[in-house]
Amino acid sequence: MTAIFPSPEWLQALADKLNSDEKYARIAKNWEADLAFLIEPSGPLKEQVFYYLDLWHGKCRRAAVLTDLSEVKPAFILRAPYENFARVLKGELDPMQAMMTRKLQVQGSMAYMMRNVPTVLDFVRCCREITTEILS
Amino acid sequence: MQPILKIDLSTRRPETLIIPSEWECDYLGGASLAARLLYSSLTLDLDPFSPEAPLLFLTGPLTGTAGPAVGRFVVCGKSPATGLWAESNCGGFWGPELRFAGFDGLWITGKAEEPVYLWINDGRFEIREAAHLWGLDTYEIQSKIKEELGQPSARVAGIGLAGENGVLFANIMCDHGRAAGRTGLGAVMGAKNLKAIAVKGNSRIPLARSKKYALLRSEANRALKADNYSRAAHELGTAGVADYSDYLGAMPKRYFHAGTFAGAEKVSGATMAETILAGTSTCHACVIACGRVVRLEDGAKRKGPEYETIVGFGPNLLNGNLAAITRLGELCDRYGMDTISTSNTIGLAFRLYEKAFIGKADTGGLGLHWGDVEAVAQLLHLTAHREGIGKYLSQGARRFGKHFSAEDEAVQVNGLEVAYHDPRGVSGMALVYATSPRGACHMKSDYFFVDWGQADESLEVEFFERQAGAEKAANVARHQDWRGLYDALVMCAFANISGEMVAGLVNAACGLNYVVEDLFCVGERGWNMKRAINNRLGLRRANDKLPKALLEPLPDGGAAGYVPPLEEMLSAYYPARGWDPETGCPTREKLLALGLDDVAKDLWG
Repeated sequence: MTAIFPSPEWLQALADKLNSDEKYARIAKNWEADLAFLIEPSGPLKEQVFYYLDLWHGKCRRAAVLTDLSEVKPAFILRAPYENFARVLKGELDPMQAMMTRKLQVQGSMAYMMRNVPTVLDFVRCCREITTEILS
Repeated sequence: MQPILKIDLSTRRPETLIIPSEWECDYLGGASLAARLLYSSLTLDLDPFSPEAPLLFLTGPLTGTAGPAVGRFVVCGKSPATGLWAESNCGGFWGPELRFAGFDGLWITGKAEEPVYLWINDGRFEIREAAHLWGLDTYEIQSKIKEELGQPSARVAGIGLAGENGVLFANIMCDHGRAAGRTGLGAVMGAKNLKAIAVKGNSRIPLARSKKYALLRSEANRALKADNYSRAAHELGTAGVADYSDYLGAMPKRYFHAGTFAGAEKVSGATMAETILAGTSTCHACVIACGRVVRLEDGAKRKGPEYETIVGFGPNLLNGNLAAITRLGELCDRYGMDTISTSNTIGLAFRLYEKAFIGKADTGGLGLHWGDVEAVAQLLHLTAHREGIGKYLSQGARRFGKHFSAEDEAVQVNGLEVAYHDPRGVSGMALVYATSPRGACHMKSDYFFVDWGQADESLEVEFFERQAGAEKAANVARHQDWRGLYDALVMCAFANISGEMVAGLVNAACGLNYVVEDLFCVGERGWNMKRAINNRLGLRRANDKLPKALLEPLPDGGAAGYVPPLEEMLSAYYPARGWDPETGCPTREKLLALGLDDVAKDLWG
């Protein structure tokens, strides 16, 4: 399946991956939080994009492209310009590096995030593995 | 700069020192200026406990302003633990208050005949008797001195029993458990019969361009407050990184000999936030507030432990009890003992007991079994009082190991115990520990943050894989130089703001026009001054090494099987530094390029 980031197909492919990946299921078995990507326009992306993922005990219960975030109140919002998301997906930018260098802003409980770094890193692995093409 | 007050405790004679303007520009202040000022005093034959030994308290040009995390001061001299350069900076409110009192530093020599404390108040000073304070702990002296001065808002820095008794890792403490730790300068203070220094003042901090500074510091504080790491440190304290450090195998366990410990997750900053956390505390004007206030079963609020204390008295000793760690940390604070050196040396004692280098005949009948926090508490008391086996523990890991014929078991570099960021999990720390000017220190470059991802393109500090080797050597040197600048400013390492912001603040405060590279040069100059001091004290390339334990692979955990290639890293590091690969001294060319002509002449003739 072709999964071009960003696209609804990419989001669905990610949901499918999260629901079928054994390693993710094992590492994220205690994760109980929904999150949203807030992808700000930069480079080839001209409009803001919101992706919503409800993640629960190693599975993805819902994935949706939203027009704004008012209809959900996710525990985490990951906000960054499109190009920084793209660099993370391409493996050019380490996800922890992105968080620690202001390239990716995190809204939500840092306690929960720091407690669950292995889950976060494996989530990023899944994102990278389903990405076949990046908008350029 | 404001003047530095020099006091000879033997003669009780004061003197005011004005810093030459070129030194203000070249060193800015703090530890770098201290290295310049003390360069000729710190000789090989100087006994750190002698009256002649200097003890220099300095602030930086931003200290006491409302800038980003600039409430710190530094104490410098010759370390009784290492025989090398001693430097220790400390947060809280004491440094700003010293500047409010009209001085940017205190230079203390001599020895009082009887215990005394200093009272510095708005440009005046008194030497007051302190016999009644001798033996009190570092919290008690603060309340007693404020009470007898009738100055509840005065700030007091002082020593506890450890400093009085000459424990080689004695701290100078102030405020709510803020510590000038490592390198044993509390013991130097004790040797001078100086129990404490109280300060109070009402002066304004001098700023060359005050309106500009106000704008810049607001902008910098907003950026700092919004930073992800600042938010984590605010929510979780410095131990917020514990879970990640554990995951990477960078958190030492069982005295650096185990890669996993099931209790590690029970003692992290996240666990503290979920269980005993009752509030936060802060240093002067800081927007982060990484200090912890916790409530234990007795209901009393007390200081919560930070990362080093948690790991040192936790996984390092296979203890997963956060309340016990809190109490052990408080014992150290009250006695005025460094929690890293104390827990490291006790960890060595546990290991030597396990390997039968020592037995109950040595410990006074005490069994030393991993995880036994009561035994740890007993060792703490014995160490502070220098009784029984505590007499040897009080000398630090290197001497303790040597006494029991197991020096190579001690996890230390040049006499300073290794802090709790294992270079097998974050390899940059191999170079940091091997080349730090004060031994195995994690704060002269907190490069573990860079290995975790806190690179900064604006500083040309790049990101390398956490277990990369020689390719990161020049990057480590550059990060050390930047932290050298922070130590000159006495700015907290958590002030994660851009280089441009730092340059703007320095320029507005000092009336300079430095660009970021000029600031790197200040950091590098200070770094080389300290190196030259250590070279004159006998340090050579052979001293740039790691202890045996860190050069053996861990059996499990996130760093299993990896050993940092230290020799390759050093071979890449010396040319990056401009240091002679044979001697480890800065080359003549490097010293001349930094304007250190006199140092070049001393080292190279």
